[in-house]
Amino acid sequence: MDYKKVSKDKFGDFIAMLGKQKKLYAPQKEGESLKFMPVAAGSQPVLAFPNTTVPPKSVLFPQTETLYRFEQGNTDISLPGEAEEGVLLGVRPCDARAMAIVDSLFSWDVDDPYYLERREKTTLLGLSCLEPGTNCFCSSMGGGPASTEGLDMLLTDLGEAFLLQTLTEKGEKINLSVQELLEEAAEEDVKFAEKLSREAAARITRGINADGIPEKLPEIWESPLWKDFSESCLGCGICTFLCPTCHCFDIQDEMEGFEGRRCRMWDSCMFSEYTLHASGHNPRPSRRERTRNRVNHKYSYFVKNFGKIACVGCGRCINLCPVNIDILDILSQVVKEAI
Amino acid sequence: MVDLEKLKNVARETVSRDDVKYLIGWRQGTYGFRVSPHFVKEPDEAEKLIFSPLCTNNLATYLVLTERLPLLRGEQPDSRKVALMVKGCDSRAVVQQLIEQGINRESVFIIGCPCEGVIDLKKVEEKFSNQPGPVQARWSNGKIVFHLPDGDKEVPKGEVLAAKCLSCRYPNPVITDLMLWEEVQTRGSDEYEDVKELEAKSPQERWLFWEDKFSSCIRCYSCRNVCPMCYCEDCVLDRLNPAWVFRSNNISENTAFQLARAFHLAGRCIECGECERVCPVGIPLTKLNRKLAKEVKEKYEYIPGLDPESKPLQSSYRPDDKEDFIL
Amino acid sequence: MKEQFEPNVVAFLCNWCSYAGADLAGTSRIQYPSNLNVIRVMCSGRVNPLFVINALQQGADGVLISGCHPGDCHYMEGNFYARRRFTLMKELLEYVGVDSRRFNMSWVSASEGSKWKDVVQGVVEKAKEAGPFEQFRRNKINW
Repeated sequence: MDYKKVSKDKFGDFIAMLGKQKKLYAPQKEGESLKFMPVAAGSQPVLAFPNTTVPPKSVLFPQTETLYRFEQGNTDISLPGEAEEGVLLGVRPCDARAMAIVDSLFSWDVDDPYYLERREKTTLLGLSCLEPGTNCFCSSMGGGPASTEGLDMLLTDLGEAFLLQTLTEKGEKINLSVQELLEEAAEEDVKFAEKLSREAAARITRGINADGIPEKLPEIWESPLWKDFSESCLGCGICTFLCPTCHCFDIQDEMEGFEGRRCRMWDSCMFSEYTLHASGHNPRPSRRERTRNRVNHKYSYFVKNFGKIACVGCGRCINLCPVNIDILDILSQVVKEAI
Repeated sequence: MVDLEKLKNVARETVSRDDVKYLIGWRQGTYGFRVSPHFVKEPDEAEKLIFSPLCTNNLATYLVLTERLPLLRGEQPDSRKVALMVKGCDSRAVVQQLIEQGINRESVFIIGCPCEGVIDLKKVEEKFSNQPGPVQARWSNGKIVFHLPDGDKEVPKGEVLAAKCLSCRYPNPVITDLMLWEEVQTRGSDEYEDVKELEAKSPQERWLFWEDKFSSCIRCYSCRNVCPMCYCEDCVLDRLNPAWVFRSNNISENTAFQLARAFHLAGRCIECGECERVCPVGIPLTKLNRKLAKEVKEKYEYIPGLDPESKPLQSSYRPDDKEDFIL
Repeated sequence: MKEQFEPNVVAFLCNWCSYAGADLAGTSRIQYPSNLNVIRVMCSGRVNPLFVINALQQGADGVLISGCHPGDCHYMEGNFYARRRFTLMKELLEYVGVDSRRFNMSWVSASEGSKWKDVVQGVVEKAKEAGPFEQFRRNKINW
């Protein structure tokens, strides 16, 4: 592994140099929401946070994306331009692992050119999570505060400087492009960073043993638990839209006058019209089925298809659910439920 | 004074009745200061019920959120009552639903909980951050006491109460079948200062203010779903043909969505503030709804959710309604 | 010389009074600005507030809703409902920062051809002053 260091007084230059070469995204406030947005020259990203409100998937898999434009009476379509080279700065390790999970979906049976092109051209610079939030449970889902999966480079805040751990070729390119700002990291720095992340991991209070859950879920398909979990559910899209691994989308045509576009947009399995058939029949007619599907998709179906759980333990769905539907509570009851 | 034993006893008696389907109350959440709606079907489930400054949820939503699935052959519709625990603001939602005939009076059994004000979760979580275990709270002599792991903490109401509670005009349920304890004193008057503050700005400033907020909207529709007054069977936002508001997320559609939502609540919003509470990106939605509530009050002297016999504002009129702007 | 901005105004006219009034203005050869795109509806009470929002999204710089005078509604009370509805709508639009000159309402009877001319002139003039409403236009944003 290659370790470098950038001191905090040079960090402003570091950001400016990144922004010059590629389109730089970093956590910034919009309204009350913290999300990844392009960094305007001179503006400072927010780097002190447990996690962003909106996960970085909003850059790689935007909420609304034009697939092509068309005109009535004309068979030609026009495709959107090529994706720009981008850098995401300040991605939490859990969210980076989520991108690795989403990757397996979008490159599954059919390659998704829109997502994969953007993914290929985007470098993810992670930021070790030294102050885990109340509901973080990444360590239960195979991650950790300094997990490197899905990242190209991991930054760790050492107090006076950031430690840069280069992980991939894309990360190496970033490294070279800013090398005049970097200094060699000493062995103590690396040890210190490891100590910090160990301490952070020890501060994670919530969690669950996920072993056996994927096998257990199909067995309790008809359990009355699902009714209990979903009774207070409002059927909104908070838990799915803000989940870093949720990747469902809808495709709609939007017309104005004679021009239109075909675009895809985030969709949520918690909405009733998600499974609504044209006939009016809905195979998931109530929130019970929809809640059951959400949990099963993450902890059972995805495991069958890709061999990994589609949850990284970022805690967003727990933090933001208005009626305190707590995925850890659900899972622990699933474990306890007799077959 | 809150009497939890009485509350639980009443709940047990109520759910034991043959004509009651279930009772909806509150229970302590899984962590921190969270509370979850609690559906009591059997008397022994009443043990978990609580009523404390943490009980922010407006449970009247669940009267209209219930999914009515097609009946199986030979199945009879369940016409039993739903018992509902309400605070002052929640009861106004029930009244407004009655005004609009969204529910029948016979289908609900309303248990009134006079309320001394509930917390603003954001304020409390900022004060006492990182609480992985459930924390209980109670009212005590005009203050709120939090039972934290390292001892009780007393906090003045002004520091942690939700804004709507600080200027609450209806702390006591306005409609009940049973009142659980004596009524509390009305706290405040409401002069719509927050709305007036924004009104004083220029149109350009107001647009920029809302543009910033609406841009962050993720269109999760939690504000719509949590609203006790949003219960159309077929919501215009879910319609595809015609699609009045496109699903795509941009400032134009988000603004259209928020305008449509706010306008649908004109003369109906009972200012429980649930929309703002649930918004994951913190859009100040009550500021929007309260603007209309203010106009409705000033122009038509109408306050929604008070008199079940009254007519809905927008399906009634007076021949001499003001019309100063009409050419 | 800078080309003068010609606003696009969408007008919802009730079938029984305002549309007939506009017709009368036409048959009487009264000249008035041609910036208006008229949509005929059966009653001003039929106008859904979403029509207004949608018109603004799709390129209107101003909107006019016109119906029968209060008391003259063909359906007895449609315009009374419209009056309440759009009084509130106007307040809401102003509150989110839509220029108040973009939203107008009028009562024009079938016999008021000349009033129709005055109304249109006023509405177009106001929309002109308010300028193009680009920031709300659907296909200008991320299309």
